[in-house]
Amino acid sequence: MAVLPRRIIKETQRLMQEPVPGISAVPDDSNARYFHVIVTGPEDSPFEGGLFKLELFLPEDYPMSAPKVRFITKIYHPNIDRLGRICLDILKDKWSPALQIRTVLLSIQALLSAPNPDDPLANDVAELWKVNEIEAIRNAKEWTRRYAMDN
Amino acid sequence: MLRFFISFFSSLFQMMIHILTTKKHIIQNVLSIYIKTTGGNISIDIDPKCDVSHIKKMVAPQIGLQPEELKVIFAGKELGDDIIIEECDLGQQSILHVVKIKPGNVQSKISASSTPNSKTLMPLCESLDDLMFSASSGSRTASISIGNETSTSDSLLDEIEVVANNEKSKPKKVHFYVYCPTCKKLTQGKLRVRCHFCKSGAFTVHSDPQNWSHVLESKQITGTCENDSEFCENILQNKEPTFAEFYFKCSEHISLGENDQAVPLDLIRPNLRQLQCLACFEITETIFSFPCEDDHVTCLDCFEAYCKAKLSDRQFWQHPEYGYTLACPSGCANSFIKEIHHFRLLDDEHYERYHRFATEEFVLQSGGLLCPQPGCGMGILADPECIRITCQNCKYVFCRNCLQGYHIGSCDPPEIQETSGTSGDCGTELNCDNRNGAGDDASRTTIKVITKPCPSCKTPTERDGGCMHMVCTRAGCQFHWCWVCQTEWTRECMGDHWFG
Repeated sequence: MAVLPRRIIKETQRLMQEPVPGISAVPDDSNARYFHVIVTGPEDSPFEGGLFKLELFLPEDYPMSAPKVRFITKIYHPNIDRLGRICLDILKDKWSPALQIRTVLLSIQALLSAPNPDDPLANDVAELWKVNEIEAIRNAKEWTRRYAMDN
Repeated sequence: MLRFFISFFSSLFQMMIHILTTKKHIIQNVLSIYIKTTGGNISIDIDPKCDVSHIKKMVAPQIGLQPEELKVIFAGKELGDDIIIEECDLGQQSILHVVKIKPGNVQSKISASSTPNSKTLMPLCESLDDLMFSASSGSRTASISIGNETSTSDSLLDEIEVVANNEKSKPKKVHFYVYCPTCKKLTQGKLRVRCHFCKSGAFTVHSDPQNWSHVLESKQITGTCENDSEFCENILQNKEPTFAEFYFKCSEHISLGENDQAVPLDLIRPNLRQLQCLACFEITETIFSFPCEDDHVTCLDCFEAYCKAKLSDRQFWQHPEYGYTLACPSGCANSFIKEIHHFRLLDDEHYERYHRFATEEFVLQSGGLLCPQPGCGMGILADPECIRITCQNCKYVFCRNCLQGYHIGSCDPPEIQETSGTSGDCGTELNCDNRNGAGDDASRTTIKVITKPCPSCKTPTERDGGCMHMVCTRAGCQFHWCWVCQTEWTRECMGDHWFG
């Protein structure tokens, strides 16, 4: 395997030494570009109390291209689809090599606090979120309890 | 007999080696330079260890003057008599200007030589230091108003002692990076000066440039044209002073004359402040400093990688003034790269692609079209009324609206469109590259099946999930459109079929 770029080593070290509150990101034992991520559901959000597993992969041309991130834990959120794919501009056209794993995970945490149904990925969820927010939030809480709290 | 030949050839060989080595020896110790005088050019060979007074003594008899009557001018400065030539950054075939001191100007000559600061008698490349030219864009703009007081450079000199404490307190000689069209690569450049009006190199500056603005922008530094000062002073009826014009030469090849210039790449700088590359986190000697307030820098490798990534996503931006360019990767405001020669850092293949994309973007933004025929892509500026477009290059005839083969009546949906009949026309033309005809047809079919054209710029667009609200990915377009209606995105689309 190719030598791990200094940038990835430094980012990993910093994630270990100064972890972001509410976020853990640990590289896989066999692949230092693959991270096991756990994001805690932000307070005062329907995801509060949940622990959400994600996977994050740094492609070969990182940081020139964005990390690939996906939710593994099922989540009821207008910007996250059934397969856990995330609709977030910085993971697509707004990616910049100046961003880091840390900033990406912070943005995902922020997305949980403030769902953006105007830029949806999960159509049905987004629609409900717009039409009946109370019910959508109830669903989100229910999914959090069912899928993100079992352990 | 054989032995004779062997000894003969071996002695011949040794002689050749001897000649080669002595020749090398000669090159190291003799500098061939040109002396440009009002009477014409003189070619002289000098020992780089000799001083300027020696040159005056060599040249004076050839032009019928006394050595004391001469001034030697190089790179914007009159060289002091005791300056050693090898300290002047003179390359082989460099041009020194020798002019006769005018009787009226004796006073200025005396005042120049009596200046306590000996730096004024050195050519500019030697007297300037890196720090002034490595400042961030913010302080660069600020220093324009400070002007060219010597106090500015003094305060900057104090700063360098703090910054580069591992170095001697003496500031580093300035480093300029240029793109050399002769060497076809990034090289170190040498700053040279000439008269703004008559372009003569026999020109002395009144003050040193203190920053990149002084060098790159016109009419920043005044000076005296020693070639024909009266002519240049009177050219605008003395309404404005005679200005210096700065330009650069490559320091890696022997000068090919006065027109052999290099393009300054002002954003490539020595990393005096030990800034970290924002992409790879390495601290490298030379950096690419983005023109943004926050001093974002990358190493040169990451700059190249950044350009390649943006190029493959077609995310360069057609700037109305600067051309096809990029901004700081952090998205800082007003951070576009002004000098597009910086993209010469790309390898040939990518630079060629950069060039092609830039041309295409220019054609599209000027209301033109690109021939849709695979392998052609010719830019066409046609009358806006004209729907039937014929490519002058491959002779393909196509419809302006749907970019398919020309047809009568409304544009058909892609499925019904005939593909084989139209593409055949092109194969007979010499200019058209249709070697991969079969693959092109397959690609074309795939593109037709899975994409829809942006209603504004016709860029084939694939929708890989999400809602029906599309934003064109082409940097110059970014049109908001509806995947269902294939027209501009409206509130009706949002209410009616946002999610399909």
